[in-house]
Amino acid sequence: MKLGVYICHCGVNIKANVNVAKLTKFAEQLPRVRVARDYLYMCSEPGQQLIKKDIEEHGLDRVVVAACSPRMHEITFRKALRSAGLNPHCLEIANIREQCSWVHEDRMKATQKAQKLLAAAVSKAALLEPLEEKEVEVTPAALVVGGGIAGIQAALDIADTGYKVYLVEKEPSIGGHMIQLDKTFPTLDCSACILTPKMADVGNHPNIELFSYSEVVAVKGFVGNFEVTIKKKPRYIDETKCNACGQCAQYCSIEVPDSFNLNLSKRKCIYIPFPQSVPACYVIDPDHCRYLLTRDCTQCLEVCKQGTNAIDFTQKEELVEVKVGTIVIATGYDLFDVTTKPEYGYHLYDNVITGLEFERLSNASGPTTGEIIINGKKPKDVVFIQCVGSRDKTVGNEYCSRVCCMYTAKQAHLVREKLPQATITVFYMDVRAFGKGFEEFYDRVKQEGVKYRRGNPSEVYRRGDRLVVKAEDTLQGELVEVEADLVVLASGIIPNKQTAQIASLLKLSQSPDRFLLEAHPKLRPVDSASDGIFLAGCCQGPKDIPDSVAQASAAAAKSLIPLSTGKVIIQALTSFVQESDCRGCGFCVEACPFDAIELREVKRGRRVLEVASVNEVLCKGCGVCASVCLSGAIQQKSFADRQILSMVAALGEEYA
Amino acid sequence: MDKEKLVNEAKAVFSREDVACLIGYGKDSIGFRVSPIFIRTRDEADQLFFSPLCSLSLVNYLTLEKGVLLEGNKETGGEKIAIVARGCDSRALIQLFAERGIPREQVVILGVPCRGTIDLKKIEGKFPDARNCTEVTEAEGMYYIRFDNESHEVPKEELLADHCKHCAFPNPLVYDVLLEDLVDSKGAAYSDIEEMEKMALEERHEYWKDKFARCLRCYACRNACPLCYCDDCILERVSPQWVNRSVNLSENLMFHLARSYHLAGRCAGCGECERVCPVNLPLMLLNRKLEKDIKNIFEYTAGSNLDDKPLFASFNPKDPNDFIF
Repeated sequence: MKLGVYICHCGVNIKANVNVAKLTKFAEQLPRVRVARDYLYMCSEPGQQLIKKDIEEHGLDRVVVAACSPRMHEITFRKALRSAGLNPHCLEIANIREQCSWVHEDRMKATQKAQKLLAAAVSKAALLEPLEEKEVEVTPAALVVGGGIAGIQAALDIADTGYKVYLVEKEPSIGGHMIQLDKTFPTLDCSACILTPKMADVGNHPNIELFSYSEVVAVKGFVGNFEVTIKKKPRYIDETKCNACGQCAQYCSIEVPDSFNLNLSKRKCIYIPFPQSVPACYVIDPDHCRYLLTRDCTQCLEVCKQGTNAIDFTQKEELVEVKVGTIVIATGYDLFDVTTKPEYGYHLYDNVITGLEFERLSNASGPTTGEIIINGKKPKDVVFIQCVGSRDKTVGNEYCSRVCCMYTAKQAHLVREKLPQATITVFYMDVRAFGKGFEEFYDRVKQEGVKYRRGNPSEVYRRGDRLVVKAEDTLQGELVEVEADLVVLASGIIPNKQTAQIASLLKLSQSPDRFLLEAHPKLRPVDSASDGIFLAGCCQGPKDIPDSVAQASAAAAKSLIPLSTGKVIIQALTSFVQESDCRGCGFCVEACPFDAIELREVKRGRRVLEVASVNEVLCKGCGVCASVCLSGAIQQKSFADRQILSMVAALGEEYA
Repeated sequence: MDKEKLVNEAKAVFSREDVACLIGYGKDSIGFRVSPIFIRTRDEADQLFFSPLCSLSLVNYLTLEKGVLLEGNKETGGEKIAIVARGCDSRALIQLFAERGIPREQVVILGVPCRGTIDLKKIEGKFPDARNCTEVTEAEGMYYIRFDNESHEVPKEELLADHCKHCAFPNPLVYDVLLEDLVDSKGAAYSDIEEMEKMALEERHEYWKDKFARCLRCYACRNACPLCYCDDCILERVSPQWVNRSVNLSENLMFHLARSYHLAGRCAGCGECERVCPVNLPLMLLNRKLEKDIKNIFEYTAGSNLDDKPLFASFNPKDPNDFIF
């Protein structure tokens, strides 16, 4: 066994606190070390050349680099080893920068510590085994979960590249929250007008298979080879036959609150969520349909029989399996429940509404055809309250929802446009107008006679037939009471209520704010920690429409990498089972966050036993299994007990 | 304990369940000794008995009898094993269930509420010439002992096994049949450990040095333990060799530390290690010190709850982690 040791100065980062010359001399006399060198920047091209040349000239078997954290340049040096014909896993890195030179001031002691770290790395290096990186084929298809603007954009981008996309949406139509909005800030284009063309594209795209009114119920497999089970809820209407003529709804006698209009109006029990729905197919509400509940009404069935005969009460829930290579999660958001702030009186007063309810009220296709009418009257005094459920530790949401400042400004503008005589007051903490054109828009709204008062209202209560908003104007330092006949609460964004379920289904992590966690906040903002699963839109954190679209396209591009290369490399640092030590207790199976371990029957003599077995393709090498194994039977490659123990032994020695 | 009830319940178990074997206590032919007996038919059940002399734990025999189960054996079929279990034994069983050593449904437990057992070394020391013990009963803090043609009364405190003095779980925590009414429990007490903790470090080191210097390294403590069941014990491994074969203070110390640490969060408190030690090492002091610390740190007591996962196979975000920094 021949070892080469390469000690990096990192400019002065290491050299200033570690006596590099002494360290090199020390390395030379360590067991099995054939050559030890130091260099200004080992990661530089000439530095790597040093290593490659020595591998070729001295026939080195293992390489130890004493430099920065392996998180920085492990891959660089592995590539150098590979190009010199050595297995890339025959590399060990001693971190003498982050763990030594940067954190110590005494040069002599730092040098001693560097010696220990280096000796430990050298002793482990001798025990390293060459590891093989496997390649697996990729199923050339993608799954997009969620049919809001983010999911729509991601699905279109992937499908336009030529790959099959399965788009799963839990509601009867795609469109998400964006289709409910009236105008979009700051340009005031009509939300539905810019979204419906994209929805139509999805509906018509030859590469997109849309599963509306469906949910993902199981995901197995790994990057390149996911097996997804989709549950299709029964619509009781044949999607291929329904031509959305609407006759059925005319004859249906059951009226229920219209959830698309946030219950501000009624819809029939057989319904289409909105006229531009994709798919353009009616659906029967199973909780209210008289036929489904008591079988005593067949009005819709009768009328449809004379047309396309699309109604089919025999439909059952259906499970569909699809295979995909990558997954984009775009499950969006829910609105903060404003009833948890009872001081604002949402549950008491009809004229206290949420921002999204205002969108429906103001929307030309909404229940009032766009007229702002509340309790049959046009309001004279309108108050907006910002940050309801955002930046609020009392409700557990410390984050900023990032859209409320601007949608409030936009809504104030819409009120001004529709009710020129109304007084408009906005209570705010800070106005965050950070996006392109935002500050200009905010300025314009202020010019339109919208009164911005800095202060967080403490209470909304009734006086006579009017509402009173009580607050402290913190700029003027006085208590104010503002009368209103419409109060709009700028309710914040919270993660989709099913986020925890989605996270457990796909083995994703959530950040403390409960949104899905990206792999790296700066450098991998659309990747999840699970390979092949990407995040788009508000599932990862509050976003406005352009940011959601940008992230969706980014997630699409990232998910296209494995699809277009057609293969993925499976990392080699997996765990492995020493079968003779395994008791088959299965704690590792339960602990594995990636479902990579299963119990498998083996024959030992005449006994049939169960032992753990690791699926190397699924294993991410996190080591959790090794930590729960009571008998030490499961270990991680390159971090096996004997390798770690040799390091511990070396660290325990005293060196001159 | 009413022998008739024990025998009848044992027979009933054979009639009711598909039992391959019932492990219980039988009288030995010499002195105060008690043997584990393995009843394989209904009629053999007449040999069973229980008295304060039954200080040995039978749980280890369960793993020996069904040892293959510990490796996830798939061939055992439906046959069950029945076992007579006291409070501490039931803790060992719960721990084995939790560690997936044996499935709960493979074991029929005849639970015996226990008032404490007699330390054989103490009673043999007091009556070294006893040949044929006929009966030992307990009433109001006294043991009534009859052997050969003699009968004696001895205060319970004099003969009670040390680990039984601190017993917090006299009643079986899991059972299918309960053989007697439950007895009162004193709850956890660690006066012995607190005494030890008062010793200065040097003093404590000297104390254990003195003890471990006597160890013969016979491995009886490990072999008798119902929870030491690994086929391949690290105390015998050569690579890495944690403990050298030579018998000297340094290696003995390592042996005992490794042994007790491998029982951390697992020891059921049955005292088998101490009972079988030929040189009377107070091994339960080590085990109970760990039990006390774990109770304080993790609010966990091994084998006390059927729903608990093994301490070191579970993670609780509330676990203290101040030792990291």
